[in-house]
Amino acid sequence: MPPKQRTPSSQPAPSSTSTPSKPTSSKAASNSMDAQAIATDIWNKYVDKTPQRVKLLDSFLAFLVVVGVLQFVYCVIVGNFPFNAFLSGFSATVGQFVLTASLRIQTNPENKSEFESISHERAFADFVFGSLLLHFFCVNFIN
Amino acid sequence: MRWLFSLVVVALLAAVQAVSFTGKRLLVVLDEASEKEKYSVFLGDLEGRGFHVTTESPKSDSLSLFRHGERAYDHVVLLPAKSKGLGPALTANLILDFLKKEGNILLALSSESATPTSVQSLLLELDIHIPSDKGALVVDHFNYDSSSASEKHDVLLLPYPTNLKSGVKNYFGGDGYIAVPRAVGQTLGNESPLLAPILRAPSTAYSYNPKDEADTVEDPFATGSQLNLVSAVQAHNSARLAVLGSAEILQNAWFAEKATLAGKDIKTANRDFAEKLSSWTFKETGVLKVGKLIHYLDEGVSKKLNSSVAVPENNPKIYRIKQDVAFQVEISEYSNTHLTPFVPADGDSIQLEFSMLSPFHRLDLTPISQTANSTIFGVSFKTPDQHGIFNFHVKYNRPFLTNIEEKRQVTVRHFAHDEWPRSWQISGAWVWIGGIWVTVLGWVAFVGLWLYSAPTEKSIKKTQ
Repeated sequence: MPPKQRTPSSQPAPSSTSTPSKPTSSKAASNSMDAQAIATDIWNKYVDKTPQRVKLLDSFLAFLVVVGVLQFVYCVIVGNFPFNAFLSGFSATVGQFVLTASLRIQTNPENKSEFESISHERAFADFVFGSLLLHFFCVNFIN
Repeated sequence: MRWLFSLVVVALLAAVQAVSFTGKRLLVVLDEASEKEKYSVFLGDLEGRGFHVTTESPKSDSLSLFRHGERAYDHVVLLPAKSKGLGPALTANLILDFLKKEGNILLALSSESATPTSVQSLLLELDIHIPSDKGALVVDHFNYDSSSASEKHDVLLLPYPTNLKSGVKNYFGGDGYIAVPRAVGQTLGNESPLLAPILRAPSTAYSYNPKDEADTVEDPFATGSQLNLVSAVQAHNSARLAVLGSAEILQNAWFAEKATLAGKDIKTANRDFAEKLSSWTFKETGVLKVGKLIHYLDEGVSKKLNSSVAVPENNPKIYRIKQDVAFQVEISEYSNTHLTPFVPADGDSIQLEFSMLSPFHRLDLTPISQTANSTIFGVSFKTPDQHGIFNFHVKYNRPFLTNIEEKRQVTVRHFAHDEWPRSWQISGAWVWIGGIWVTVLGWVAFVGLWLYSAPTEKSIKKTQ
């Protein structure tokens, strides 16, 4: 897998090396074109090559980031009055993010060599246990 | 039969007419037996008030203020002696020890005899200063008795003392004039809060030694109302010492004497003043007693203090922060024969401190009710937002009143885990409650999807 990934990213590199002869304005335009091309390329690669469970994990992580950012922004704007409520709400999201990220690391087929001793079922069971513990603590703390 | 019994009770009550709050053994230290005659009315009055009077000469071998390490007498009257010293039984240290053991002393000075050295050093120790030379006395060219001291102007006629200051009770007030013949003036040190003047000299008085041959007084010991004719010390343990500038005030000759003040014939009221002074000194007046002290959780119902000794105080040991607490204390004042409800002077009030190292509350106690012989003071307050070991502390130190210091220790705990308001009762927390449950529900959905998508993983594994 790693060698495959390197080849598509090395393709845009020659085109960017040919730009210095052009004027600066067209250089920026071509750069943005290149950046867009890189982004779409990465996106396509991600869609093609990533296993479905990792995609599921990533979408859950993205969801948690959105929820966490919303809570933090609300706290900054409105204030942290029941501070324990803010702490437990925000840390529930952050903690869930950390646990999910760990699950992603442990179940990603790319890291198989490092986590050979841990089966996916075992990693998922750990994740569920940790999450339940986290939810219990947060609900208890917010009272 | 019954009338006989009640007659006996009445007779007994009459016998214990008045007695000090602390004891009735009284020692009178007197130089010569012949001197005793001069004070016979005063000593008779003391015996009439229930004191057991013992008269001793300072030279006597049997004289001792202590027996087996305890006070042998409750009160002492030290009358001026002709001799220079008071002997080994009445050194300044022994007299101070007597005060430390809560004995009371009435100390009379006289300008006609030299002040004994032990009395001088005793007064120096207490920060009371008297003229060092023998014979110095207080004169006043305006308030003198023109019938007995028309030349020397050394018999002062003064009205009864008024309040020392506002908020202080006056135990020495009355109607009439006090004759103060040939008094030794005292000045009080500024540092000691235990000192209080009882009778001040008028502003026109001054102290000088008539043996000085100079025509004018160059450097008087003290002038005006900084001179005290009668002053008082009340120690921290409430032992009392009164310094009487002129022993002649207590003598029969001045108890009800005709005198002339500025051409007006008056009668001296020394007998009454001597009674007031001695009854204050010997703790017949101005004695405070704290009865019960209760505190309880204020739940809207006021509890009644049961002043019976049989019922224990039974106070809670622990409160929570921000709880309503009520406090009550029962205070009596001993007045000559019995305990009476104590009423503080106008503009003065007893205060309660709720303190941990420093007071968090300092509150005026208001009288709630009165029993036959005590006033019940009370106040309600909210415990501070601070947990720890606190004291209910009543401290009341006033001139002429015995000191009150009472403490009751309680623990103030913080909120228990289940005493806080629930999160949904605080609308500000709703956003973060939402945050938690969105996270939890998202997690549940994720777990469901993960388990549902299990087969595809195998296909990916196969492709790999």
